Amino acid sequence: MALIECKNVSLGYENRIVCSGLNFRVERGDFLSVVGENGSGKSTLMKAILGLKETADGHLHFGDGLTARQIGYLPQQTTLQRDFPASVQEVVLSGCLAAKGRHLFFQKAQRDRAAAAMARLDLLGLKHRCYRELSGGQQQRVLLARALCATETLLLLDEPVAGLDPLVTADFYRLVQTLNREDGVTVIMVSHDLFDALALSTHILHMQGGSAFFGTRDDYLASDFYRRLAGGDRHV
Amino acid sequence: MFDVLMFLFSYSFMLRALAVGALISLCCALLGVSLVLKRFSMIGDGLSHVGFGALAIAAAANLAPLYFSIPIVVLAAFLLLSMNARSKLKGDAAIALISTGALAVGIMVTSMTTGMNVDVYNYMFGSILTMSDADVVLSVLLSVTVIVLFVVFYDEIFAVTFDETFAKATGTRVTLYQFLIAALTAVTIVVGMRMMGTLLISSLIIFPTVTSMRLCKSFRRVVLSSVGVSLGCFLIGLAVSVRLEAPTGAAIVCVNIAALGVFALLGTLRDLRPSSKLYGARRALTALVCVLALVLGLLPFFGPLGKGPADKNITVIATGFAPFDFARQVAGEDADVIMLLSPGEESHTFEPRPTQRAQIETSDVFIYGGGESDAWVEDLLSSVQAAGVRTVRMMDAADPLKEELLPGMQAEEEEDDAYDEHVWTSAANAILITQAICDALCDADAAHAEGYRARTAAYLKELEALDADLMALGKAAQGTTFVVGDRFPLLYFAKRYGVQFAAAFPGCSAQNEANPNTIAALTKMLQSQGSGVVFKMDLNAAPAAQSIARDTGARVETLYSAHTISKADFDAGVTYVDLMRRNESALRGAIRNMEPAA
Repeated sequence: MALIECKNVSLGYENRIVCSGLNFRVERGDFLSVVGENGSGKSTLMKAILGLKETADGHLHFGDGLTARQIGYLPQQTTLQRDFPASVQEVVLSGCLAAKGRHLFFQKAQRDRAAAAMARLDLLGLKHRCYRELSGGQQQRVLLARALCATETLLLLDEPVAGLDPLVTADFYRLVQTLNREDGVTVIMVSHDLFDALALSTHILHMQGGSAFFGTRDDYLASDFYRRLAGGDRHV
Repeated sequence: MFDVLMFLFSYSFMLRALAVGALISLCCALLGVSLVLKRFSMIGDGLSHVGFGALAIAAAANLAPLYFSIPIVVLAAFLLLSMNARSKLKGDAAIALISTGALAVGIMVTSMTTGMNVDVYNYMFGSILTMSDADVVLSVLLSVTVIVLFVVFYDEIFAVTFDETFAKATGTRVTLYQFLIAALTAVTIVVGMRMMGTLLISSLIIFPTVTSMRLCKSFRRVVLSSVGVSLGCFLIGLAVSVRLEAPTGAAIVCVNIAALGVFALLGTLRDLRPSSKLYGARRALTALVCVLALVLGLLPFFGPLGKGPADKNITVIATGFAPFDFARQVAGEDADVIMLLSPGEESHTFEPRPTQRAQIETSDVFIYGGGESDAWVEDLLSSVQAAGVRTVRMMDAADPLKEELLPGMQAEEEEDDAYDEHVWTSAANAILITQAICDALCDADAAHAEGYRARTAAYLKELEALDADLMALGKAAQGTTFVVGDRFPLLYFAKRYGVQFAAAFPGCSAQNEANPNTIAALTKMLQSQGSGVVFKMDLNAAPAAQSIARDTGARVETLYSAHTISKADFDAGVTYVDLMRRNESALRGAIRNMEPAA
């Protein structure tokens, strides 16, 4: 059974449908990149998957024991966070909030989980550092660790490399790829950069002008959607 | 040595202020962290103005202030948040709308009902003396609720503050916690604004967090440090306000400004680059700043507080200038007489400062008017009398008159049986009051009774002469109506001596802005009468009188109520009788002006 199955979904905001007839499925271990222009409905889809927004039509099914609350979400950074006084540990631990349940404070299980996530992303040395004093790449790793605290199954990355320099971007992608290939974490990534997406993904969802293409990376390379883009690219 | 500490802990009203103030500071610091970090600082400011509006309405409708305003402010908080969420109106615009709107409504309601009286003034600028026992209980309960909820939901509050979207995506009920924070903020502000004042309460929310952020690198430390900074600044501010006799709220905010400066300096020192010239000395400099801050912070607590009881004389305290002068004439060298109002201070919005309040409780004789501007006396009368202080209420000593609407006066929608409190403006009443003061002094200090009686007898002669001269003035002024473009506290004077006046407002009105109709009527009256003199009261700017003078070419002359006195006159030793003589000559001057025309 698929982790997420999207059948004939229409998305919209403020009474305007931006995308209809959307069909795709995400299996365990997939790396799906969602690409497309601004306004094509990528963010709206993301919100729909997270359960923050209703779909205008159609159904989003979660399978294989997954619920919308168990998605490790890596949102885009807000300006507010840039000078937020919080230690790395505090930020990562806040990813365990749902697991805390009815307890008054975080339990040992949650603290261990946060420690494990930090260890995995090589953050233990920065544990007590202030979030706002970290470099952009380090901040992104902290937020990724927080997302891992919320899930072992599915990561949802929203433009994760926006504002990072090329070297740091490469490092970050390597990290995500390791999580995907070695730890079997399923990844859905919204991205601006088609070529990065192609390098990493097993599947591509290309949204454009109200319609969409979904398929494996190879299918996509053979599709009209890609050809139109690549054709355009040759002029650059 | 420890006068200030002793003072803070030995009077019940100070203990109440300490308890409520400390709890409010704590709540503000806790909630402030979340509000400041979420860029909601101005919500505190907006809510305090809504609180002012609600309190004004509560005062007008005679409702319990806290019970009425808390729900209103909580509602406003929800409204502000949901406006923010829908973002049709940008957050700061929404806050500015609600904040100024509520302030305007509050001022309208106030001016149409009670006028800008002491209560309203207190809501604006705060007073630590307004706490009744019931207020204290309610404040403590509310504050404890805020603290408990904050601790219980600490992790959730962090998650929601740091990253709303992520928290929502992982199933945290973000809206719920936001409304929780908003509701707690609303409650804290309403409880706290009575002490800090509408205009300053939001600083208690913002300062500690901003200060702590200069140094702290984790959320938990910011929270803990804010609590420490907030409590420390409150205590130091209270001590400063006691020592300098300054308003508590303003003192606390000033201490907070200093703390922000210290923290910013320490933060800069810590983050110095190794290339900086000061890098080598940074440890020494840090230590220096810490020690200096500590010494300055502790300074207000040490040293003696005011003049101790230096001699064995009894102490007589009078609220305003007239009773002060009467008591001074009676007391001679045998008693120390203190005036509560500082020379030049506005009498109708006066409230005693904490040290003065303590002074009243330890005095021997306390003389007050008993009217509207002494409303605060009622609150402490029982404790003062229990402490064995003899009290003289001037309105009991003389026959009080009800305030009247004179020709031209704009009505105030007030309980229309308000007694005019300026009883001493007739010399005949001054005689009665002086007699009562003499009796109280003799009772309190039998050893010097002979001296008191002798001085009283001499002084009464002076007052009788004044009374006779004013009677003569009344005869001379028959048929003339003098125009006063100001409030009119001379009702007893007018009645006793048969002098006719037209005035803009009754005696105790705190209004200064006459409406255009009133000014027009008074202007017409002055033109037809031809004295060429429009009167104003001592120490008032009296824009109405100035405006009438501009339109008619009349001269502005001053009349004296002797309620208070200018600093210069006070220092020159001017007396009640001198002030009344000034009134006499000003009125005679106006009469003379009309004679050539006649």
